[in-house]
Amino acid sequence: MIRMFHVYKNYPNKIQALRDINIHIKKGEFIFLVGPTGAGKSTLLKLIYRGIVPTKGQVIVDGINIARLKPGYIPYLRRNIGIVFQDFKLLYDRTVYENISFGLKAIGATNFEIKQQVKKVLDLVGLEHKRKMKPHLLSGGEQQKLCIARAIANEPLILLTDEPTGNLDPYNSWEIMKLLFHINIRGTTILMASHDKLMVDKAKKRVVRLDQGRIIEDTQRGVY
Amino acid sequence: MIFENMGFYFREALLSFRRSALMSIATILSTTTILIIVGMFLLISLNSNLFLENLESQLEIIVYLKDNISKAELNTLEGSFNSIDGIKEAKFVSKEEAYQRLSKDLGEQKDILSAIEINPLPASFEIQVKDPKMIEQIANQITKFEKVEEVEYGRETAERLLNFTYLFRRAGLLVLALLIFASILIISNIIKITVYSRRSEIEIMSLVGANSQFIKWPFIIEGFLQGFISAVLSIIILYYFYFFAINKMRQAIPFLPLVVDIIDLLPIGIAIALLGSLVGILGSMFSVGKYLDV
Repeated sequence: MIRMFHVYKNYPNKIQALRDINIHIKKGEFIFLVGPTGAGKSTLLKLIYRGIVPTKGQVIVDGINIARLKPGYIPYLRRNIGIVFQDFKLLYDRTVYENISFGLKAIGATNFEIKQQVKKVLDLVGLEHKRKMKPHLLSGGEQQKLCIARAIANEPLILLTDEPTGNLDPYNSWEIMKLLFHINIRGTTILMASHDKLMVDKAKKRVVRLDQGRIIEDTQRGVY
Repeated sequence: MIFENMGFYFREALLSFRRSALMSIATILSTTTILIIVGMFLLISLNSNLFLENLESQLEIIVYLKDNISKAELNTLEGSFNSIDGIKEAKFVSKEEAYQRLSKDLGEQKDILSAIEINPLPASFEIQVKDPKMIEQIANQITKFEKVEEVEYGRETAERLLNFTYLFRRAGLLVLALLIFASILIISNIIKITVYSRRSEIEIMSLVGANSQFIKWPFIIEGFLQGFISAVLSIIILYYFYFFAINKMRQAIPFLPLVVDIIDLLPIGIAIALLGSLVGILGSMFSVGKYLDV
């Protein structure tokens, strides 16, 4: 599903964010990206959704070489990738329903499809009863669930999550994790950048450790 | 795809108008203020131009005729004048009429004329030209006619006046160009701020896979609406302000030439509407483009 060959990423301030990254992520895998702040976790995720391009090397996502992807095709790549951020990135002037529906509208879904799909994902994350509320009235955990609902609404092949439990208490964190496991079981490949030792250890999934831009460890059923 | 979604884009544009009502109102008010300033300058320019045209139209050539001119020669001469391209009107002033005018101009001092036994004043033609810039050329042409004693057109005054109106018009155009340039910069910056305040929305749309057209169109429509509403508001304000000012000026200076015909004022309205709408559209287009590269 995702392959990286000798990937380097340098930022303009001469910071080497990634160095010689080689990784193969199979369809349906659940992978934790761990490592200290500045290790390159977020950069690696950005490469996958083509938020940035590699300085050197190849990044292949679902058969597409993202470095060669023309700007006009980026939206089509992103329709296969759901993204969940630590800071939620919700639209606070729109309702829960609208936060999900506008993404679906953006990819050309019909009104009927939108209604069905929004209901389905809101049921899945348990927010159907709050569909008319604005996000600021939701708790942190609920806002993160809304982000996940938005990210999976168009049933993407890949879900990228950048420290989704970073702002949550252990109970809500575990709720989010259960939700992500559930989504993963349905076939979605999940990459989760995390600092949450408790969750990583409890999950017993593949753990890729980054340090100073390099992969220093890649373990099946690993720990933090 | 664009036209299929036009209804949606319009709804989105109107919704975001409502969602960020304060920002929209601030944008409209600031844009309206700028457009009013541009409109005021355009109105002043239009009236100055009318004033200058009026001034220029008062330039005329006076052709003094020899005393021994016969009736037939006079008719031929008048015919020749009328056949010269560039002459608007040639009015004959007889010796008697000239004498009466002088006597009238002298007023209480007209008695001095009684000392003169015969009428010394020559008959003349007062010639108005279509284009004041042609006055010298036409005057030279007339000098060559037989039975023409002297041609007078106030060469220095005419040259000075024409130089002044030329410079005034050029300066006006320069100021207008600068003002329009400044207003484009200011309005597009105001719009840039509204787009900036919603950059996260653009970023999120881009991240969920919306293509650039889908993201841009609601902003473009919103920019157009903001610009157009501002233009309409400024036109209404300028209309009332202008006619109020004109009435006041007419009371103060009754014979001042002023533009009052709506048809003559229409181009200014159209220019303001175009300026507001186009800058609204282009301003949003470029600003959104800046935040699209996520």
